[in-house]
Amino acid sequence: MTAPLLDARNLTRRYKLPRNTLLGAAPVLTAVDDISFTIRAGETLGVVGESGSGKSTLARMVMAFERPDAGEILFQGEDLHSLSAAALRRQRRHFQMVYQDPFGSLDPRRTVGWSIAEPLRAIGVDADTPRRTAEALEQVGLHPRDGDKYPHEFSGGQRQRIAIARAIVTRPALLIADEAVSALDVSVQAQILNLLMDLQDDLGLGILFISHDLAVVASICDHLLVMQHGKALEAGPAARILRQPAHSYTQTLLKAAGVSI
Amino acid sequence: MFELDNLSAAFGSATALRHAKLTIRSGDRLGIVGESGSGKTMLALCLMGMAPDGARLSGALRIDGQDMTHAEENSWQHLRARRVAMIFQEPMAALNPLVRVGDTVAEPIMVHEGLSRQAAKARVLALFEEVGIPDPAARMRQFPHELSGGQRQRVLIALALACNPALLIADEPTTALDANIALRITDLLVRLAGQRDMALVFITHDLAAVARATRDIVVMYGGDMVERGPTDQVLADPAHPYTRGLLAARPDPVAQTRAPGGKRPRLPTIPGTVPGLPDLPQGCRFSGRCPVEIARCASTRPGLTDLGQGRSACCHLLTEGTR
Repeated sequence: MTAPLLDARNLTRRYKLPRNTLLGAAPVLTAVDDISFTIRAGETLGVVGESGSGKSTLARMVMAFERPDAGEILFQGEDLHSLSAAALRRQRRHFQMVYQDPFGSLDPRRTVGWSIAEPLRAIGVDADTPRRTAEALEQVGLHPRDGDKYPHEFSGGQRQRIAIARAIVTRPALLIADEAVSALDVSVQAQILNLLMDLQDDLGLGILFISHDLAVVASICDHLLVMQHGKALEAGPAARILRQPAHSYTQTLLKAAGVSI
Repeated sequence: MFELDNLSAAFGSATALRHAKLTIRSGDRLGIVGESGSGKTMLALCLMGMAPDGARLSGALRIDGQDMTHAEENSWQHLRARRVAMIFQEPMAALNPLVRVGDTVAEPIMVHEGLSRQAAKARVLALFEEVGIPDPAARMRQFPHELSGGQRQRVLIALALACNPALLIADEPTTALDANIALRITDLLVRLAGQRDMALVFITHDLAAVARATRDIVVMYGGDMVERGPTDQVLADPAHPYTRGLLAARPDPVAQTRAPGGKRPRLPTIPGTVPGLPDLPQGCRFSGRCPVEIARCASTRPGLTDLGQGRSACCHLLTEGTR
């Protein structure tokens, strides 16, 4: 078996909370508590949990926006958090993120083509920019001409396609999707989930898919990690967890998602 | 008691709500389901007398037999809170951050019913108990930011119930909440409607919540009510092509399981996107996206076909009997 694309080992992240008293020690919140997982090329890991479960902190550590207090993240065998700033910047093209709110992450005063090319400029690819922007637009089911338009000219679903185009324009190996379909209507959500599956098949992407909705996560993921209060309650193949949820909390999430068990 | 008789709401030539027909009686639990642009929120705003400025209403909206279609704001103020009240998606945005939540809930009681502050506070205490807020006397003195999202939504429910409305409209009441809290709020609304013999209109895009909370359902698309009937029957055997598409597009983890070494099946989708208001087709709103469309769909609006057992739907194929 090949080495995993991403190997996260015993990740822990703590935050100091505001002091309750002037001289007392600041209370500490363990947002992520000893979490381990792997993602292989062409595979999807789903992370499910509610607000405050630590799933977004996990994403920020994988994106190397935040440093874990303990544990390590090996991306293609290299420890991300031991890299120099310059080496990390070179690596960034290989892992990209799609956020929940495409309107908030697209500059309303710039054409979407400009926004899609932004990661290319950030990693210093200049020569090929127009061709790669057009290619990314086509890969997400939009027309290369759409690059000349502005964000407000698109529907919510199309804006999420633009956000995905921006994430894949650097030809990453790993895509991190944090609540990427949560703001979308059901029928649009299905289109975007299918797009992610198509891109995965075509490009061999590994995907870290984060959501509060277990039905959505389980529909496109091979493996699941259920989080609550920073801890992993349950992890394993999605099919097994759906059939036999071991934890009562997982059963509640299934019930809320309307999945009959 | 609440009756929409061919109510339409238009902005210029664009129609946000088209010929809505609906009767709501006490004890009804009605789900209004639709996606963005379906007209479900416009419907709720009309019921509250809060249709946006510039909306031209036609047809009739009657409350207890009284025509309120073009009623002035002051006659609505008389009805709001006492006949109809509403709770919204984002509880933080609906509460004044500078006012203790007990005072917020007491205000309409004093204004609408002329109770003293003392008597109003006693009512608030009982309401907080009724909606399941623990330690209600202490909570009344707190500010919105001191409460969790679920507790804030309970405060808003207490606020909506303050003057004993006959109809409670809940617009996406659980969308901003975590899963297990959303379940509890949904169950609370059902229990309150039963205990108070109050009508509940539950507006949502969440089909699982609708199945749990409502007895009847209206499915909306592009400003039209395209299908209605008992919730369990409509969800089990949808008659309108849009309802079928919407139900099929829900992620079903069991159907989506990947065969070993194989590709993962794709979710069924409705092709295209919902057109903007001015671009909606004149005939059936769903034409252009419908998989079973026939020639006259784009030009002629289908009427409501009675399907028996309290069910009906607007589709030309149903009148042809070729469902």
